[in-house]
Amino acid sequence: MAIDQKSGTELTQRRKLAAGPLSKGDKWFFRATAISANFAFVLVALIVVFLFVNAWPTLSAQGISFIFGDIWNPDAKHPVMQLGPMLWGSILVGFSGVLLATPMAISAAYLIVYLLPKPAARVATTIIDLLAALPSVVIGLWGIAVFSPVAISWAKISNQLLGWIPIFHVKDPNSAFADSPFIAGWIVAVMIVPIITSVTREIFSQMDDGLINGAVALGGSRFSVFRKVILPTSSSGIIGGILLGLGRALGETVAILYVLQLSFKINFFSVLESRGGAVASWILARFGEASNSEFHGLMAAGLVIFLVTLAVNMVASFIVNRAQPWRKN
Amino acid sequence: MNRKPWAQSSATFKVQLALVSTIPVAIGALFVILGGFDFSIGLIGVFLPIQVIVVGVFGWLKAKKRGLGDALLIFFTTFFSTLVLVLLLSVLGSVIFEGFKALSPHFIYENNRYVGTTTSLEYGGVGHAILGTILIVLLTTVAAVPLGIAMAVYLTQSQSKMRGVVRTVTQSLAGLPSVVAGLFILAVMQFTHLERSGLTGALALFPLMLPTVARVAEESLRLVPADLRMAALALGAPNYKAFFQVILPAAKSGIVTALLLGLARIVGETAPLILTTNMNNTTNLNPFSGPMASLPTYVYNFLGSSYSSSQQRAWGAALVLLIFVGILFGTARILGRKKSLKTSKKAK
Amino acid sequence: MMNSTTASASTLSTEDISVWFGERQVLQDINLVFPANQVTALIGPSGCGKSTFLRTLNRMHELIPSAGLAGRVLLDGQDIYEPSVDAVDVRIKVGMVFQKPNPFPTMSIRENILSGLKLSGRKITDADDLVETSLRRASIWNEVKDRLGDQALSLSGGQQQRLCIARSLAMNPEVLLMDEPCSALDPGSTRRIEETIQELSASMTIVIVTHNMQQAQRVSDQTAFFLADENTPGVVVEFGRTEDLFNTPIDPRTNDYVNGHFG
Repeated sequence: MAIDQKSGTELTQRRKLAAGPLSKGDKWFFRATAISANFAFVLVALIVVFLFVNAWPTLSAQGISFIFGDIWNPDAKHPVMQLGPMLWGSILVGFSGVLLATPMAISAAYLIVYLLPKPAARVATTIIDLLAALPSVVIGLWGIAVFSPVAISWAKISNQLLGWIPIFHVKDPNSAFADSPFIAGWIVAVMIVPIITSVTREIFSQMDDGLINGAVALGGSRFSVFRKVILPTSSSGIIGGILLGLGRALGETVAILYVLQLSFKINFFSVLESRGGAVASWILARFGEASNSEFHGLMAAGLVIFLVTLAVNMVASFIVNRAQPWRKN
Repeated sequence: MNRKPWAQSSATFKVQLALVSTIPVAIGALFVILGGFDFSIGLIGVFLPIQVIVVGVFGWLKAKKRGLGDALLIFFTTFFSTLVLVLLLSVLGSVIFEGFKALSPHFIYENNRYVGTTTSLEYGGVGHAILGTILIVLLTTVAAVPLGIAMAVYLTQSQSKMRGVVRTVTQSLAGLPSVVAGLFILAVMQFTHLERSGLTGALALFPLMLPTVARVAEESLRLVPADLRMAALALGAPNYKAFFQVILPAAKSGIVTALLLGLARIVGETAPLILTTNMNNTTNLNPFSGPMASLPTYVYNFLGSSYSSSQQRAWGAALVLLIFVGILFGTARILGRKKSLKTSKKAK
Repeated sequence: MMNSTTASASTLSTEDISVWFGERQVLQDINLVFPANQVTALIGPSGCGKSTFLRTLNRMHELIPSAGLAGRVLLDGQDIYEPSVDAVDVRIKVGMVFQKPNPFPTMSIRENILSGLKLSGRKITDADDLVETSLRRASIWNEVKDRLGDQALSLSGGQQQRLCIARSLAMNPEVLLMDEPCSALDPGSTRRIEETIQELSASMTIVIVTHNMQQAQRVSDQTAFFLADENTPGVVVEFGRTEDLFNTPIDPRTNDYVNGHFG
């Protein structure tokens, strides 16, 4: 009784399926959620437009030198506002923070997933998440009062041991170390460790068991499996996590303001010198006494840091989403 | 979550391990306490090198080259993780220790009407700032939570191809620098008649809360088995009823967690409030007009002064703020824990 | 009998049903007739498309974004995929029980029974009566009558599945689709559900997907054997009276399958 595979012309046509909702209520339901979802785009667009309109007087007057120049003189007859040292400072502090946070974050993730017994791992996870919930003003308060003195002594040791490397060199040891990008980097690191850890931890814990067990069966030691199996397969996700952390670091405001000497004498890489920059902190520092002309300059600064962090975060979310396919439906 | 294909430990091994990990600490401590070394020098100059050498030698003796790699891996991951733990404990400890000194009943409920930078701690408090924070944060919540949940619904219930893009943009918004959120509302205020008030502060916090709520709510909705939705639809339910009567109740604790984590995210935000609300030393219960105090701006304000009583006020307010965050975070954790227990029990 | 003849007595039938997910075709030209008050078993190896086919019968299929379909599904002669037909009406008439018991976890036993009516927006006239009748028909009334207010998840797996059957019965469906309803249950629960199926067939048409050959023989009047060779869409190899199909199969592949030679 085989199948008669006749093909009636009408019946073999693929039909249009009413995959969407049919009832009126459903139409409204999906329409409302779609509008809400699109609000994410609207919000980004609104932020760009409003900042841009307010930033235009400065941007049009300063041109490209707003990004690269290093003079901030908003109340002159012809105001000059150039963000260079602050922008570079944000990048320097951001990278210092990431450099310090990454080993801590990967270590914590490795410890949680591969070393600690389950209850301890759960406690450790909670601790890391709690760290993420600490307000930046609290971190700043701690940074200025508790951490700075310790970090200054770390900075001195680094200078004495590694002063021959340009990065750790200081011109005058008597006026260096305090309020330096090194300390700001540490503060930022404290704030982004949880971000990198949680992404890394999730990727570690979702890793294919067979891969690890296979490597162990082949005589892999902890170290060789970590270096040759775990790190390579999770590297792209970890990089995504690091970029998320970098995005956060670039926009950090209050905590950095307390522990960094903001200066327009650009500091390229001498992380132990007592001067640096951070766009977001600069905006907050100047805001209280800003004249009308400086107001536009600060808006322009906000626009720049927004676009930079948005780009970093977009790339980061893209990478993280791709590295975590189990999060898709 | 925890995977340990290397599990191996005999009693002697444990003893050796204990010795290996305590001797360098002891030596380091000796140098600091008896030798009068600076703590950091003791840590970096004495403890670290000795510990690395001891651990390395131990690993080498155990299993030659493989042992060396493993020993160093375990040591460094433990060391860095301990560093994280110490940093966190240091933050918590100092805020609790310093903040407790300023804490007293009147510090919680009084406002700062007659307080200057040098006024002693016997007068004034953070009552007005607590109320301000609560009002501002509630106002943000009213707008951000429904919208965030709606976004999560879109990301989990609809079949749209745009979901990936929406998710990426929402996640990127989560990294919005808080000072930019403040500038944004400030820019909006240039074109409207809005005056600085609790409302403008709440508006500035809105873009910061939204992505957190959307992400956590999305995750909790994703945890609801697809089967339930199918069962509801197979009973002839339209999608919206399936969502409101079946999926949402099943995800209730997750949604509450989203709310709490969203609150924890914004309750300590400082920069946006400094830009969009004016400071106030007195109690203002009307978020729609007049300056309004809040805990984070209170901390920021008094930290700016170098007088010790002001510093103390900053620590005290920071502690109160931390308690807020702790309550929100702790409740979210407990709810999340309950949820995971339930699902794991069901899985059995 | 395989041709697309629409018997007027039949409650449900399919005409040349083909199914795609994206560009991949998973079923080709399925023509089956499910006469009223008969139990039809769909058997076949995993991945042959029988569950997918089941889901085309009450338009659950179209909930998958990439789903495509050709052919017709006739419920009492009416094509359920006609644009004028509301999917909700179809799903009310054609009930479904899933592989894993899926009672609504936030509702009580009683609320679960009434959930279908509430969800599809219909009036509940005599709730107590409906709850009792539905639970009785699913033969679980005696076990739960004293704790109707309890959470549905407090029941055992087998009871949960019978609750799900009762939940579908409360809608008073004309057809009941069951997708391997016993695969997650112990033998005792399985037996009770099989008894329930036989009792229910007096009042409705039942289509059941099963991996269990003995179950198919125990409960069904007719059986369809689905098969999909590698990279080709699933087809119905043989369809007929259950006794005939199991005892004197015509196609050698059917013979191999029912005698456990492959699959």
